[in-house]
Amino acid sequence: MESAKRIIESYNGRKLRVMEVCGTHTHEIFRLGIRRILPPQIELISGPGCPVCVTPAGYIDEAVMLALEHGAVICTFGDLIRVPGSEMSLAGARSQGAAVKTVYSPLDAVDFARENPDKQVVFLAVGFETTVPAACLAVKKAAAEGLSNFSILGANKTMPNAYKALKGSADAFLYPGHVNAITGTAVCEDLVKLGVSGVVAGFTADEILTALAVIIRLSASGEPFFRNCYPRVVRPEGSPAALKLMDTVMEPCDAEWRGLGVIPMSGLKLRPAFAAYDARLKFSLPPVAGRSNPACRCGEVLQGKCKSTDCNLFGTACTPLHPVGACMVSNEGACSAYYQYGDILNEQ
Amino acid sequence: MCVGLSARVVSIEDGTALIDASGAKRKVSADLIDDLEPGDYVMVHAGVAIAKITDTDADESRKIMESLDGIG
Amino acid sequence: MNNNEFVTLAHGAGGRQTAELIDRVFKAHFSNPDFTGDDAAVLPVDAGKIAFTTDGFIVSPFEFPGGNIGKLSICGTVNDLACMGAKPLYLSCAFVIEEGFPLAKLEEIAAAMKKTADEAGVRIVAGDTKVAGKGQVDHVFITTTGVGQLTEGVRTSGAFAKPGDAVIVTGDVGRHGCTILLARNEFEIDADVTSDCAPLWGTVKSMLDASHDIHVIRDATRGGVGTVLYEIADQSKVGIRLNSADVPVAPEVRGVCGMLGLEPLYLACEGRLVVFAPKSEAPAILDALRKGPYSASAAIIGEVVADHPGKVVMTTEIGAQSLLPQPGGELLPRIC
Repeated sequence: MESAKRIIESYNGRKLRVMEVCGTHTHEIFRLGIRRILPPQIELISGPGCPVCVTPAGYIDEAVMLALEHGAVICTFGDLIRVPGSEMSLAGARSQGAAVKTVYSPLDAVDFARENPDKQVVFLAVGFETTVPAACLAVKKAAAEGLSNFSILGANKTMPNAYKALKGSADAFLYPGHVNAITGTAVCEDLVKLGVSGVVAGFTADEILTALAVIIRLSASGEPFFRNCYPRVVRPEGSPAALKLMDTVMEPCDAEWRGLGVIPMSGLKLRPAFAAYDARLKFSLPPVAGRSNPACRCGEVLQGKCKSTDCNLFGTACTPLHPVGACMVSNEGACSAYYQYGDILNEQ
Repeated sequence: MCVGLSARVVSIEDGTALIDASGAKRKVSADLIDDLEPGDYVMVHAGVAIAKITDTDADESRKIMESLDGIG
Repeated sequence: MNNNEFVTLAHGAGGRQTAELIDRVFKAHFSNPDFTGDDAAVLPVDAGKIAFTTDGFIVSPFEFPGGNIGKLSICGTVNDLACMGAKPLYLSCAFVIEEGFPLAKLEEIAAAMKKTADEAGVRIVAGDTKVAGKGQVDHVFITTTGVGQLTEGVRTSGAFAKPGDAVIVTGDVGRHGCTILLARNEFEIDADVTSDCAPLWGTVKSMLDASHDIHVIRDATRGGVGTVLYEIADQSKVGIRLNSADVPVAPEVRGVCGMLGLEPLYLACEGRLVVFAPKSEAPAILDALRKGPYSASAAIIGEVVADHPGKVVMTTEIGAQSLLPQPGGELLPRIC
């Protein structure tokens, strides 16, 4: 760790913009105070890799509708509970009598559905490639058991086309290690051919500092590069079993990213064979166009076009207790991290 | 995204692994890893073991740093 | 008392059955010379000052590893008094019981209250019982009110922290919150964690015997040690520096927190004090604490500074400074 730290602290080369695309990286980087040991030439940009942050307001509206109008029990990761929808968050819906249950795993939602056959249970399937296999396992399990009271509200996303959309936002990506544990590293190797550099990074202090040091060293040549700095978890081929499972249960689709708009083929939805587990079809949900606050600049923040502190709402109308944008509500969001960890001496 | 937890496999039964992270135990799906054995370390996410862990972060980082010698 | 007796609305109607319930459960356990059954307890008052406080207790589940709501309701009020340097003397307790609650469980709760009160050296001298309809309360709610005798020469307050103070925590953090989280079994996680719930007058007394120069004592309950640190930084208008490596956390609590993306510093404690005292006094205080039954793992976790008033800054494992996030809102597991 010390040698990596020395390389980072003593860097005095050209300006280097590094985008961490994973929300857990954002969170850990702030928690560990890594920004405070960076020389001014290194800028860390928090990218769109927090599933909560890129989930559009309309998705929350759909979940609220399922809970309040269809009486479904919503099972969700805790991350989504406070995200504002157009009218209210799931926490707000709960105070109006909605059944909202926090779960650790989508498989727990299946267990809950089995134990409560008189209730319709909907799991909110958000997350990237790391989380998708868990949702697919849940659907397969429900199908195998013939459960007719379980379905998912899908908003799963995949990273490859997002990287392409973000090309040019940074000099190098800190790739999300746990996504690569599933997908493997071929996608990153391919990006090198497009001139996109990056390293796969783990999540401990040691691993994040090492990955940054590697970026510094490999940037020196000026050539695009890729390096797997998390080989203890990430194999080049990823997880063939997980990829096969995902391909069996889901298929690619266009997806709306909050702040970034629609990115072609950057989402996943259930294949027709599993349509019975799609909550949108099951409950005949109407198309929902969510409304977010027009002054919110989360979209630009996610693309590295502005800092959280450049937004007029930041810290005034928008705080972690009263979030306006998704980047403030998620613990992993850039705005929340800036707000909670950024301001030691009122330095904004 | 993707809070991961490294944990030791205590036992395996019917595609389900009992894992232990510093004394916190839970059953997780072992469906994605074929050759899992008790004593293995795995990365766990949302109730699923997503990968086997082959090294400690400190050892891995040391090897990577050594491989940088002479670059840059 | 057999196992199929339950509290009914009649037990709360004020008639014969109410008297029966009081006799069978509360008088049987709380009996002491000051518990008379008159409309109010009549108590002697010594010279000097008294401390006076009240607290309501709702906890789900009402029984958990390391205690139950009865023990909790005594500890909470005893500890609030102790934090002011006051020896707890008398408590009152008011019950709101859900119709259908098993009498045997009510007895267990009363027995735990009696045992804890005895340990803390406090007498339960007055009480009230109400019964609410099914579904109107979650099993049983208890409110306790207490008075204590202030120790002469001791004056603690959240506003008294000063730059140069050491920040001491009297044991590992987050046990109670973690225990309750596991006891609810929402996340199907299993770990050998018991609540730290304990009456802490003895702990405070041992510190006061070692030094009267203690500026702040506060018990970390809801919101955990992190919340207390922000309260003190705000009330005393000082900055606090914390060394993350020095914060004692049980490995199991760390494991559970790792699984759910939670921070132990924000998990509730029910038997931990945060103490601010001049650095010169800290070794003697720490020495006294480590001999006590509830504070063997006491540790200095940081210091008070004049810089960054109102903020808590942590030195992290890479040696960098980072702001400890202000706690707020409900604790939600972070997964995806």
